[in-house]
Amino acid sequence: MTIRRPIQPSTSLVLGILSVLVLLGAYTGLAWRQERQNPDDTTIPRWGQLAKGFTSTVEVNRRSNDRWLVADSIASAKRLFSGLFFGVLGGLLIGLAMGCLTPVEACLSPPMSLLAKIPPTAALAVFFVLVGTGDGMYVAMIAIGILPALAVGVHLAVREFPDELLYKAYTLGASPLEIVWTVIFPQVLPKFIDAVRLSIGPAMVYLIAAEMVVGDVGFGYRIRLQSKLLNMSVVYPYLAVLAAFGFVMDYLLRQLQRRLCPWFEGGR
Amino acid sequence: MISRILGLGAGALGLILASAATAATPSFSLAWSEYPSWSVFGVAHNLKLIDGQAGKQGSIEKRWNVDIVLKEAEYDPCLTMYGAGQCDAVCITTLDALNPSLGRPSVVILPTSTSVGADALIVPKSVTQVNQLRGRKVFGLAKSVSEYCFIRNLELLGEKPEQYTFSNMDPGAAAVAMQQKQKEIDAIMVWNPFVLETLNRRKDAHVLFDSSKIPKEIIDAVVMSQASLAKPGARDFAHAVIDTFYAINRRLADASTRDDTLVAIGEKFSNLDLAGMKKVVQQTQFFGTPKEALELMNGGELKTLTQRVVDFCVKVEIVPKAPAIAFGPAAAGADVALRFDPSYIQAVAARP
Repeated sequence: MTIRRPIQPSTSLVLGILSVLVLLGAYTGLAWRQERQNPDDTTIPRWGQLAKGFTSTVEVNRRSNDRWLVADSIASAKRLFSGLFFGVLGGLLIGLAMGCLTPVEACLSPPMSLLAKIPPTAALAVFFVLVGTGDGMYVAMIAIGILPALAVGVHLAVREFPDELLYKAYTLGASPLEIVWTVIFPQVLPKFIDAVRLSIGPAMVYLIAAEMVVGDVGFGYRIRLQSKLLNMSVVYPYLAVLAAFGFVMDYLLRQLQRRLCPWFEGGR
Repeated sequence: MISRILGLGAGALGLILASAATAATPSFSLAWSEYPSWSVFGVAHNLKLIDGQAGKQGSIEKRWNVDIVLKEAEYDPCLTMYGAGQCDAVCITTLDALNPSLGRPSVVILPTSTSVGADALIVPKSVTQVNQLRGRKVFGLAKSVSEYCFIRNLELLGEKPEQYTFSNMDPGAAAVAMQQKQKEIDAIMVWNPFVLETLNRRKDAHVLFDSSKIPKEIIDAVVMSQASLAKPGARDFAHAVIDTFYAINRRLADASTRDDTLVAIGEKFSNLDLAGMKKVVQQTQFFGTPKEALELMNGGELKTLTQRVVDFCVKVEIVPKAPAIAFGPAAAGADVALRFDPSYIQAVAARP
């Protein structure tokens, strides 16, 4: 067995599909075993029960008069994308500033490394005071949760930028802003996109955790409530939607990276 | 290769044999969360009356020849754990027991306490009439005893619940927001310790109504799966759990150990002081003796009150359908979801 021996794309696809099938098969087995132990069990629902649960999330609920999955998706997506927007933008700007300007680096490097280690969900009370308990809270939690790690990532990428290129640009008469925008930024972009890809997971975790505690709509709210009621046939479809969402986001960002930075050797 | 596989097989066999040897003492698990009448089990573990670790016994476990395995978790995960069959018994309110009992027929073996003021609606003192809350949001945990207590009090006051909005929020978070005087959150329906802590920290807030109007409707209990109870040694496990509960209650009744026990119970529950904990146990009235528990379990009132709770749960869709409920020891072939069975308490009370 040679390390990193290339394989056919078709083989790769088949292996990928196979592993997902194994996962589904394992779930079927688990559900079957649970059913044999207790036919009334609702914690590992069978596929039929899951389908029923899923249907109940997309049809109009007669009490709340809305479609759960639709209402929750709209609420959670709004919060997630607003949070990602501010976090990503802030992380990029602060990271670039830290990488380019040594006083900013000296000033912000320690707090960013410290903040990167604090889960925002553990500081709920602080967010209440800062931004209240409305939608602003979720947005702030996501933004502040992912910003430090992103800033540190961009900062490191800028620092990797070779000095020779910098001198060359100066020699050709570029202004500092031009250097940042036309030379450094394109170099950092693919690594920045990688960092954003990696921060989608934590952003979703922060959102769900916050919604579990506060709120009457959203993925976290529904998952906590339905888990407590042992309606796992509702909970698991929600988890599947989350997984699919994460997968699609990841795919889109990889495509974006490929499109914007075709030269990037990591453009896998 | 083959010898390795054989070796592994022999090792596994050895492990199985070894575990079979220690399994001579029947072992059952109890999931519990921090709450006054349930923290009793954590305290009993610290006092070595029972040993919550698997394979180890405290004095009460030896007396009944069982192994009690304690599993501590937050309240919600306890319900999930029980529903998924990962524990034999669970500390739970009877309201929350209805839903898991549909999938896992269950027996209430021991009522531990009832809320008499431990669930309360807290509002600023400027709000003196409940109708001032119409059109405003009241925050608390949806589809829980909080919402139940809120709606029941509205009914008792002759109000229409439809005119009020109960908005979901974790009780801990609601209490924090209330204490911070968040503008949009000024009416919360929470339970202890959040009630007392919020009142301590917001002198301009007061209780508009609480669960003292509906005594014995919110009952905290130990509930055990019927299937587990059918296993050998399970009755003794139930007896040992009940025995443990009353042992700690005797310490609470004894003036020389009362304060110390109260502090121990309150240690992880809240940062309330001894005076606060004394208030807590007033508002969470323990069924501290077999006599009190049996009065509740054998009294006619329990049936009407439980029916009321079931009706509420069906109405707000906590349960998809009403579980069949029975009172008294199991009759052969009776197919019920939730049974209130006093026989375990009687057995413990009868033993000298």
